[in-house]
Amino acid sequence: MIDCINLTHYYGKRCIYENLSFSVPQGRILGLLGKNGTGKTTTINILSGFLKPRSGECRIFGQNIIGMNPELRRDIGLLIEGHIQYSFMTIRQIERFYARFYPQWDKNVYYDLMSMLKVAPNQRISRMSCGQRSQVALGLLMAQNPKLLILDDFSLGLDPGYRRLFIDYLRDFVKSSGKTVFLTSHIIQDMERLIDDCIMMDYGKILLQMPVDELLGKYRQYNFRLAEISALPEMADVYHPTVIRGNVELGSFLDADELKSRLIANGVAFEDFSSQKVNLEDAFIGLTGKY
Amino acid sequence: MLYKEWIKTRWFYAVALLTTFALCVYVLLNINRLVSLKGAAHLWEVAMFRDAIFIDMLRYVPLLVGIVAAVVQFVPELVHKRLKLTMHLPRGYVRSVMEMLLFGFGCLALLFCGNLVMLLLGLQTFFANEIVWHIVLTALPWYLAGLSAYILVAWICLEPVWRRRILNILISIACLRVFYMSPAPEAYNRLLPWLAGLVVVSLALPLLSVVRFKEGKE
Repeated sequence: MIDCINLTHYYGKRCIYENLSFSVPQGRILGLLGKNGTGKTTTINILSGFLKPRSGECRIFGQNIIGMNPELRRDIGLLIEGHIQYSFMTIRQIERFYARFYPQWDKNVYYDLMSMLKVAPNQRISRMSCGQRSQVALGLLMAQNPKLLILDDFSLGLDPGYRRLFIDYLRDFVKSSGKTVFLTSHIIQDMERLIDDCIMMDYGKILLQMPVDELLGKYRQYNFRLAEISALPEMADVYHPTVIRGNVELGSFLDADELKSRLIANGVAFEDFSSQKVNLEDAFIGLTGKY
Repeated sequence: MLYKEWIKTRWFYAVALLTTFALCVYVLLNINRLVSLKGAAHLWEVAMFRDAIFIDMLRYVPLLVGIVAAVVQFVPELVHKRLKLTMHLPRGYVRSVMEMLLFGFGCLALLFCGNLVMLLLGLQTFFANEIVWHIVLTALPWYLAGLSAYILVAWICLEPVWRRRILNILISIACLRVFYMSPAPEAYNRLLPWLAGLVVVSLALPLLSVVRFKEGKE
């Protein structure tokens, strides 16, 4: 559905990433995770055709997004960061406006969602709360009924209730009709409830792309105490170890026995070894580091 | 697209219509008062021999209306980069933006035509046709300046890069100055078709900024 090939982008002299490549298969919900400044918004902007990369190309439905046939955008739903919409319109006016552009427009889906907000059809969007605006934006996306949804930081400004409401509706809509979704959010717990696959970005590169189930099934957080106070040696396949007063915390895709063998092979004496499964947020912090 | 632009700007155009028509009425009432006080013969004499046009207070009104029209129409599109919504619609983005521009241009042109017709009819009750046309032709560049200001301010608003935006402001000030260089009545008569042509051609300027916006220039 989406193929990004060798994307390179700079802001001035600052390299955001070089030769970044990834694909999003049809029917999957893919979340893009990364710390601030790793290029999430840059990627979304390139994907939605609002940023021309320095080099490389991004293809959606097999067409390069730069110079894409505009009619193909009928099948791409875009949620701009902050659930931005035409706030000078009312609930009814905005539905009427968009309906003319989309032959498959389903106004019932939109009005069903709006009826739950307990707001009048002539309510101006600018006078609605951020949570209500998010539902308007979601209702419009659902009425558009696109094959692909691109959602930029969908949880921005939402309280926990509206975040949950947004996710539940979105997941039900997407799963019931086999949509493909590419999204970012700064709240990783929200992503965990929603996404099938994740891409984790580090500065200038993709750290990993894999199904969330596989990631959470394989990734472990390990804790142990160093028998002798010393620094932990550099080891492969171990992510961001922290040592505080001899207590070590690290993350790895290695199983416990394999990690113990590696520690012994590296001359590390340890005790009180334990391992635990983690949630997506802890895995993200473990893989990308706290700083 | 026109539906969206209408919803966004209808209150502005309602206020602009009332205000500009009220100003035209005020100018005509002023002339009427002068006729009552000093007589029509005196007014004709002043008009013919001292180049008085009696509607000087309208000089900058179209300019102001053009500037505010562009601000009202395009600033909401730039706040939170809302223009992305329009550009994401399943149609050519240049066509969408051109329709937005033509909507504003058309509304202003209608408003200004209404103003000029009102002046034309009102002035005919006081003056001979020759003097009426003398006054209207003197006012025409002001109305062209209003249309030009609309396009140039749209160009400034749509420009995504601040340094370029400042350059656009300077160029726009220089362009608009052209319409007010000579205070002499009918000084622009020969230039009017050229100025009108340039105003129409300048409709392409905001499109340059929109292309830069689409490429993500910041």
